[in-house]
Amino acid sequence: MNVGIIGSGNWGKALATLAAEAGHQPRMGYRGRPPGGFPGTPNLPALVRESDLVLIATAPSGVRGTIQASRPGPGDVLVIASRGLEPETGLWLSHVVTAESRCLRVGAIAGPALAAEVMRRRPSALVAASRFDAVADLTQDALHSSICRVYTSNDLRGVELAGAMVDVLAVAVGAADALNLGLGVHGVVVTRGLAEAARLGEALGANATTFAGLAGVGDLVASSSHSDHPGYQAGQALARGSSRSDYVLQKAQAVLTMARKAQVELPLTEAIAAIAAGKVKLRLALDALMRRDATAE
Amino acid sequence: MAGIYDPIPTREVAERLRGAAQDRLDEFDDDAVYAYLADAVYQERSRLERSRGRWMDEDKIAHQAIERAAVATRRARRDQERAILELVDGYAHEIHNRFSHRTHRFATKILPGALTRLLTAAQPMDLLGGGFDPASRMSVQGDVPLLKELAKTHTLVLAPTHVSNLDSPMIGYAGFAAGLPPFIYGAGLNLFTNPAMSFFMSRLGAYTVDRRKKHGLYKHTLKDYSVDSIGRRCHSLFFPGGTRSRSGRIESRLKKGLLGTAIQAWQQGLAAGRPHPEVLVVPCTLSFSLVLEAETLIEDSLSEEGKSRYIISDDEFSEPRVVASFASRVLNLDASMFVRFGRPMDLVGNPVDDDGHSLDQAGQHIDRRGYVADSSGRVVFDEQRDRVYTEHLADALVGAYHRDQVVVSTHLVSYAAWKILEARHPRLDTFQRVLLSPDQRQIENSEMLQALGHLLEQLDERAARGEIQLALPTPAQSQTRAHAVLDEALDRFSQFHARPGLERRGRWLATEPKLVLYYGNRLAHSGLQIGTHP
Repeated sequence: MNVGIIGSGNWGKALATLAAEAGHQPRMGYRGRPPGGFPGTPNLPALVRESDLVLIATAPSGVRGTIQASRPGPGDVLVIASRGLEPETGLWLSHVVTAESRCLRVGAIAGPALAAEVMRRRPSALVAASRFDAVADLTQDALHSSICRVYTSNDLRGVELAGAMVDVLAVAVGAADALNLGLGVHGVVVTRGLAEAARLGEALGANATTFAGLAGVGDLVASSSHSDHPGYQAGQALARGSSRSDYVLQKAQAVLTMARKAQVELPLTEAIAAIAAGKVKLRLALDALMRRDATAE
Repeated sequence: MAGIYDPIPTREVAERLRGAAQDRLDEFDDDAVYAYLADAVYQERSRLERSRGRWMDEDKIAHQAIERAAVATRRARRDQERAILELVDGYAHEIHNRFSHRTHRFATKILPGALTRLLTAAQPMDLLGGGFDPASRMSVQGDVPLLKELAKTHTLVLAPTHVSNLDSPMIGYAGFAAGLPPFIYGAGLNLFTNPAMSFFMSRLGAYTVDRRKKHGLYKHTLKDYSVDSIGRRCHSLFFPGGTRSRSGRIESRLKKGLLGTAIQAWQQGLAAGRPHPEVLVVPCTLSFSLVLEAETLIEDSLSEEGKSRYIISDDEFSEPRVVASFASRVLNLDASMFVRFGRPMDLVGNPVDDDGHSLDQAGQHIDRRGYVADSSGRVVFDEQRDRVYTEHLADALVGAYHRDQVVVSTHLVSYAAWKILEARHPRLDTFQRVLLSPDQRQIENSEMLQALGHLLEQLDERAARGEIQLALPTPAQSQTRAHAVLDEALDRFSQFHARPGLERRGRWLATEPKLVLYYGNRLAHSGLQIGTHP
């Protein structure tokens, strides 16, 4: 299978590693300097045309531009590997694909597969989700190997949202670690953070159980245990005195935009957004969260 | 040309449907064949048992057929398959219409003089005569010349909103008046009980749908019939909402079953290399100032029991006197009916140009065959994929319904009235609001005019952007537009319903909340605001 990968950063290279490990021919699409290690092309429309499956591994903010440049059509299959929502609009990245092109066969992957570990061929796992069974199956076929287990799902919304929420919740874990709040907080963030993600997910038509799977718990446990994760690092920086973090604010605001439309309250995400915007001190936000009314789980 | 212009005999239709059923059975293992037949037997027996004493002629035949099938459930697979095909054969005979171009011409010729009688006449011959001319009362909008051109090279699937049992003959006539080719459509078996209605419906292209039959075997046969018809280039009409809108709202959740048959027919045509396999979908909105069945429909919408009633057999449509009153009073009013044909789209909801080519966001042609064919051009059948495509199509249709909706005075005034009651009683829910006492639900004239003025400003902006269509009266010199809209709505309401939706009493307007809710719901999705409550 010809697997096109657009986005030549570490995550793109990690996906190329997985495709090659699964016995396929990965080819990287790039803008700017060619990536090393794998064949590549700057001609994105040709890459899309000549690939059986295309993985988009750019930053979420770059997905729209990538689609405009690569011009996928009715016969193409695109899978979003960029975790998150579009920062400027709070839209699903799969929606950005269908809004900018006539490609409908779209999927997303998420899960505990960290770029650095994948490239060292350490075991990992992903979930490939699409409303189209054939797209999820094709993605599984493209990436499943002895170093990465790939599971399929039809819950595209759930997997996309889980990917977005994990980035935000990793901030809370990073901050808690920097403040030496103990391991119990990890458990609180994982469970209560994913509970609010599941609440939002259900309101948006996702399946709550997705958040208990690889894309939710699996990815959050891996991401928040990894000191190189950008969300975790941003959380640490905020705890150590940074007055704000645009990276975190963008991610959290995108989720909150969606939550407001769905009229779902996300106290943890709102607190993280307020801290990242410099509106409230970390300790005060933590105190406010702990003093919320007692309630049933 | 084959298809609707050259009707095929029922036995040939039955043979094709048996063939489609056999293809399906070939994919089943023994357990699946047994379950398929046993489910049909169980569901039919249950239905017939529940309706014992009220059987139609079709039910007596169904009873005999299902008892023969029941015997086969205890036999070998070969006997079970034979029983299934026998049932399919019976359903094919029941479903297939006897449409022909000749009788269509006849039906449409006498229709202008007989539409009023059509609704009440006991015998077909009663239809001749009458003075009602729907052409002068019905406004047919949209790019009809484009549809006529596209119909020559594409099979069209018309997808209208569904308000009333009068919709099918109205659209049938609107299409005829506009010079469009005939469309076939599925009509409930209950609508064929009136001999005159049955005469017209079948001549206008109706085939029979028995919505009481819920089992998979019948539903598959119906879908196979639709696939086969579209494949034979019969332009078809589906109501994607499935049934009449109970609440009055424009459909937002569409049923995908019959709609999905279009994409199957397209793929079969592509795979078989047929000369004109392309199929396009045409959204269509129907707007009536007043709706014959409004009172029953909104009652159903508000009652728990009603929500599960898919077929209503005791509504206004079943009372000839009420239908006659409606026909003579309402259908004869100017600007009381609007049939608007929207821009055609392909089978996943993409817009098409005037030649029927699918377009991308930049207005460039795309090859839509890529949706269903592999890179070598071979058609790949995938039902699950097609279900998702049909969901995309359904979303595009809902968007088109909103854009092509024609706002008339009764809808707008009712929306304003309901919004005023909502603002006045914010803590009450819908069910409590419809039970307000008469003095609690009175609205001052001036308050209504202010709300209408505000709504008209918003509607004008949206209409200028092409987001909605307006058919509102032009004010007389001394009048504001809000006055003209209100006066027309009050006049319309006074024509038919026993208790009008709104009625003037001095400086007050008396409201009938259920009707106001029903007609106002036509704009419920709009988010239009009436402004700050005084």
